[in-house]
Formats: sequence, C-alpha cells, structure tokens
Amino acid sequence: MGDVYLIFKNITRKKLRLILTLFATFIAFMIYGVMTSFQSALDAGVELSADDRLVVVNKINFTQSLPISYVNRIQNIDGIVGISHQNWFGGYYQEPQNAMPIFAVQQETFFDVYDELVMPEEQKEAWLKNRQGLLVGEKAAQNFGWKVGDRIPISSNIFSKKSGGSTWDFDVVAIYSAVDPQIDTSGVYFHFKYFDEARTFGQNTIGLIGVRTADPSLNEQVIAAIDDQFANSPFETETVPEKAFTKAFIEQIGNIGLIITFVVLAAFFIILVIVGNSMALAIRERTNEIAVMKTLGFQSGRIFRMVLGESLITALIGGGLGLFMATVLITAVSEALPQFPTLIIDGPIILEAIAIMLGLGLVTGIIPAVSALRLNIVTALSR
Amino acid sequence: MKLLEQIWVVIIMNLRSIPQRMGMSLATIFAVAAVVGVLLFFLAMGNGFKDTLEGAGSENIAVVTRVGSQSEINSVLSREQINLMSNAPGVARNNEGTPIYSGELYVIVDGYKKTNGSKVNIPMRGLSTDGFSLRDNVAITEGRVFTPGRNELIVGESVLKQFSGFELGKKITFGKTTWEVVGVFSTGGSAFDSELWADTRTVQDQFRRGNSFQTMRIQLETPGDVQSLVDYAEADPRLNIKIETEADYFSAQGDALNNIVYFGWGISIIMGMGALAGALNTMYTSVAARAGEIATLRAIGFSNISAFFGTVAEAIILALIGGAAGIAIIYLMVDGTSTATIGSSFTQVVFSFTLSSELLQQGFWLALSIGMIGGFFPAFRAARMPVVTAFE
Repeated sequence: MGDVYLIFKNITRKKLRLILTLFATFIAFMIYGVMTSFQSALDAGVELSADDRLVVVNKINFTQSLPISYVNRIQNIDGIVGISHQNWFGGYYQEPQNAMPIFAVQQETFFDVYDELVMPEEQKEAWLKNRQGLLVGEKAAQNFGWKVGDRIPISSNIFSKKSGGSTWDFDVVAIYSAVDPQIDTSGVYFHFKYFDEARTFGQNTIGLIGVRTADPSLNEQVIAAIDDQFANSPFETETVPEKAFTKAFIEQIGNIGLIITFVVLAAFFIILVIVGNSMALAIRERTNEIAVMKTLGFQSGRIFRMVLGESLITALIGGGLGLFMATVLITAVSEALPQFPTLIIDGPIILEAIAIMLGLGLVTGIIPAVSALRLNIVTALSR
Repeated sequence: MKLLEQIWVVIIMNLRSIPQRMGMSLATIFAVAAVVGVLLFFLAMGNGFKDTLEGAGSENIAVVTRVGSQSEINSVLSREQINLMSNAPGVARNNEGTPIYSGELYVIVDGYKKTNGSKVNIPMRGLSTDGFSLRDNVAITEGRVFTPGRNELIVGESVLKQFSGFELGKKITFGKTTWEVVGVFSTGGSAFDSELWADTRTVQDQFRRGNSFQTMRIQLETPGDVQSLVDYAEADPRLNIKIETEADYFSAQGDALNNIVYFGWGISIIMGMGALAGALNTMYTSVAARAGEIATLRAIGFSNISAFFGTVAEAIILALIGGAAGIAIIYLMVDGTSTATIGSSFTQVVFSFTLSSELLQQGFWLALSIGMIGGFFPAFRAARMPVVTAFE
C-alpha cells in the first residue's frame, strides 16, 4: 500500500503542473465525449431502422407525391405483411422555430408497420378514435410542454385549410415512448383523413408509403414487384429499405458532419500529445530521485510499476472528469435544444474513451518507466 | 545597461535556448496550430455560406411567397395571384410599359454526388426569360439557353462541379420525362449556381403542377422599397402573400447555417483552454529549466522586468509560430475547396470554403492571446526568481 501513497505524493508534487495536465486531459475528453455521442446519434437513425421495412417514394424525388391509389395496388403483393402511408406536414408550434417532424398518417394501419412505438393501450385506442387526435413522441411532448388532454394549434408551412388559415387544431391524446432510448421520439402523428379532407390542395396524394415485409430476405423481391408495377407510369416509384432511406437522408447534410468530427478528433489527439509530453517530462525530471530510490533498495520492477501507475492515474482522472462533464453537457444540450437528436454517452463510447485513457497513460508512462527500470544508479547520480 | 537593451538580450537568450526544451516547445506549437486551424476551418465554412447566400440577394428585387412558408419549397402561388401582383404599384416596367417579373416554380429532383455517389436533392427552377434579367451577373458559360416549350435545361456551374450526370449534352430522366442539358450558366458563385433552370411552362407540364407557381420575383421601381407592394397586397384578400427584398430573403435563409460559426467559436474556445493549459505547462517548465540562468542574470544586475518580458516573448513567439502553422495548413488544404450541404429549401447548396484576411486576423489574435496568457503567469514566477537560486 505504500506504493499508492508514493504514487499519490509524486503526482501531487507539482500541483500546478498536475492541475494543468488534468485540465488539458479534461478538455480533450470532454470534446471527445460530446462529438462521439453526436456522431453516434446520427448513426443511430440508420442502425435502428427496421430491416424488414421498406419505403416507397416518387422516383423523381421523395418530395414529390404519389397517388393514394398506389396503396391498394401495392398491398396484395406477396411478402407484404403491413402497409401504411403518410405525408409530411411541415408543422410548427406557435413559432416557425418550433418545427417538428409531423406526419399525417393512415392511422388504422400505422402500427402494423411502425411497431416500435410504445404507449398505454387506452391512449392508443383514444388516438385511433379521435379524428383530431395527436400521437406525440415523449421528446416532442417534453419540448413543447404538452400533456394528454391538451388542445393545441399546429401551423403548417405547406398546407392551409379550406376553411382558411394554416393553423390546425389537435387534441393531444397519446404520448409514445420507444423500445430503445436512442430511437428518436420527437415525431408527431395525426390522422390522414382529417388532413386530406381539410387541405386546400393535393387531395388523394401521399408522400411516402411504409411497407413491412414478412422477412428481410424477401425485401429484394418485394422491391422489384412494387417498382415494376409502376414502371413507365406517370408516377414511377422508387422503393428502398428504410435503412438506405434514412442513410440517404442523413447524407444530404453532406460530408460536413464527418468533416467536423474528423477535425475535432484530430485536435483531440493533438491535445493528447501535449498532455503526454508534459506527463513524460514530469517523470524524466525525477531521474535523480529514482536513482536514489534504487540506491535505497527499491526493486526496479516496483519503480517501473509506480512510474506507469502515475501516468495511468493522471490520464484516468483527467479523462474521467472530462467524460463526466461531457455527459452533463449533452444532457443540458438535449434539454435546451429540442431539434437536436437525443445524445447519449453509452457503454461503447465509455469503453472506447477508457481504452484511449489507458493508451495515453501507457504511451506517456512507458518510456520514462523503462528508463527508470534500466537506470544505472552511478551514471544517474553522477549527472 | 538600459532596460530595453536588457529585455532584448534576455529575449534572444531565451529563444536560443528553445532547442534544449524542444519537446515541450513543439507541443505548444502543435496545440496552438490545432486550435487556430479548427477555428479557421469553421470560420471559412461560415464565410463560404455567407458569400454564397448573400451574393445571391439583391435589393432591387422583391421575392413573393405564400404567407407562412419559410422557403420557396413550401410556397404556393396561383396564376391569378401572380397576375394581380404584376399590376401592383412599385413594380418596375420596361420601355413598352410591361411589368418586369418572373413567376417561378421550384421542384426538387435527384442528383448524385461526384465524391461518393450518394443521392441528394437538387433544385430545378422553372423561370421565364425575365427571370434572367432579374438576376445579376447571369452568364451562359457553355452552350445556349433553353428553348421555351422544349424539355431543355441549363445547369449552374456549382451543380456541374459537385454532382455527376449534368454535363452539357447529357440526357436526364426525371420520372417519365427526359431533359437535355443544353447549357451551363454562372451567377458568380451565388446560391443560384446550385440549381437547374428550365422553362416555367414546361416544368409545370412535366411535373404536373397545373398553373401553379411557388415564388414570384419582381423588379422594384425603387431599390429596397417593398412598402407599396406590401400595402397593395394587404388591401386585397386574394393576396395571402409575403413580400420581402431578395437580400432579406437570402439572409434569412442563411441564418440557420450561421450556427456553424458559433459552434466553431465555441469549440475553439474550449480547445483553446486546453491549449492554454499546455502553453502554461511549457512556460512553467521553461522557467524552471532556466531558473539558475535567470537568477544569475539577476545577480549580475539584470532587472526583474527583463526576466518577465523574456518569458512572455518566448511564449508569444511559440504561439505565433503555432498560429502561423495552423493558418498555413487551413489555407493550403481547405481554402477554395467546395462542398455541399442541405439548405433551408431542403435542397443542396454548394459553397466554397473561403478565408479572408479578416478571418486570418482572427486566427492571429487567438494565437496571440494564448501566447500572452500562457506566458504571463510563468513570467511572474521568472520575475520573482530569488537571486540565491543562482548559487544553489
């Protein structure tokens, strides 16, 4: 146990240097935590997409519409177990900045295709029955402060009502959560019928058809069956697995997400180089002392472990604090900025960070530790 | 010896001894280079966005959209509304007395990125011949203008650069209809360069848009003055529209993307603190390493002020070398390269990373601040170094 005490004494010998080193490590891992959780949130949309779900959109581009009759023409294709259509509504609450992903969906069939949404059975019933009912994601409800029973107006930046105005009234009747915490629950859903009958233009057209296949292995076959059916028609379709659709959607943002991550992570490693340098220096400076310790009879192996322990502990403390701060920060960000995807520092990110901390500790400690191990007492003391 | 002379001697001495502390000094240089590099990267990105969007906006043009739509893509205007607006007071007229305006239709089609082949949204705009005169600096750089009534289109230069399949003479199929690229146009790097242009009527027919439009551009009689148009529209209940100058329209479009710049400053400041910790460590080490030297100078009559400035100067010089390295890296690697991202009309906006001398100065000041703060506290320690250290 004396070793731990000695390590502690050694680390805290130059308090200012220790604080500065810890601080730089702290900053580096804080940035790392925030950036990787951001990246993983972006990837989560793709990873969590269901493998047995397909998306049918207009071949020209997914912003163009399709005739509603296509739903009936597709549903009898072999291998399809669920089909439901929806339309992007372009909605916002009170102010245009409070935008949300809100869709007019075919409510009777919605859960046949999207079964990852979880809610109390009576709320589900209430939503299915209420024409103006709104099914709200947990996160959306939290963002806008809605609860079941509220009657709220939502404005659309695309659709206006025949009765005038582009503000639509809804009853919040159900709030859903998702089977996985990383699934985005900022989505809001309402009845397509209410939407289609009241809107001023675009009746009987839809934006997107969600299709659930009996098994992912049937995807290819179903895709071919759907797209062949509408080839050379005025509205050609393009059917893709949901995963590919989500990925393409994210890629629209461009390489920017990737570039930012790359730039920031490069900077992260540079900070680590600096930290490592000063940690290595801290030990090199003590060559004389290590020689004295050896003279006093400390075993070389013991000194090796102490030196390495010192750099490992420093890296773990600084990094651990940084990771903790990152968690605090992203929780705050997630709450303050509703438009952001849910950021989570999960197991894999923590493990990766710990691995980097250990790597940092080892790399910076190993050279001084080996030289301490090999240190010749006479040469060291005569310097 | 005069004070200035003393300071000068100490500075030179410190700089000469830097090679003895190479590791730590390099670490500081790296750190500052990284921080300045990251900052400039984000600023250059923001600057590029700004150039692209602000370059597109003119004070002479009014943009008309439906109330509540935040961008062209969400707007709908009818033929009737366009006709009504064309007769509004404040609309400039040509020599024959015809109002100068362009009703435009904006549809989204698919394009493929040259870099990775991923599918992206590209805006295709239907516009009239007046639409050309309503934009500054439009030039056909290759081929010719589309012929009204035919499935012909012209592509913006940025589209040609970033996305594949739009080369002159190529045939492109959107759904059932095939279009031929007959020309390439440039508007001098503005957002319009990210678009495909074709004849309004043809786009309406081929995309089944009936006689609907999305936006209307109007040449203003008095630049910047949309008030008479607004008054006119408010008096007529059929005109449920929003009117603003094109400059205002585009600057609003750019707002969301400006967050990039804030993000860049945020992350640079946080990283800068990390670099500062590194710089402080370096300079404290430097002072410690030169403790005997500094004390000796003091013993032979050098003032503590010279010790102070010697240390600060060392830190500043290291930071500036780092800053210069950061600037050089970003300048060589990023300046002028172009990329695309999704803009508020849900379509790709192609923009270039552009460094301006103003941005370079910001990078310089950041490096200088890190150097000054990083040197200041260790310099205090140097200045207060007891003379007795020299004899230990």
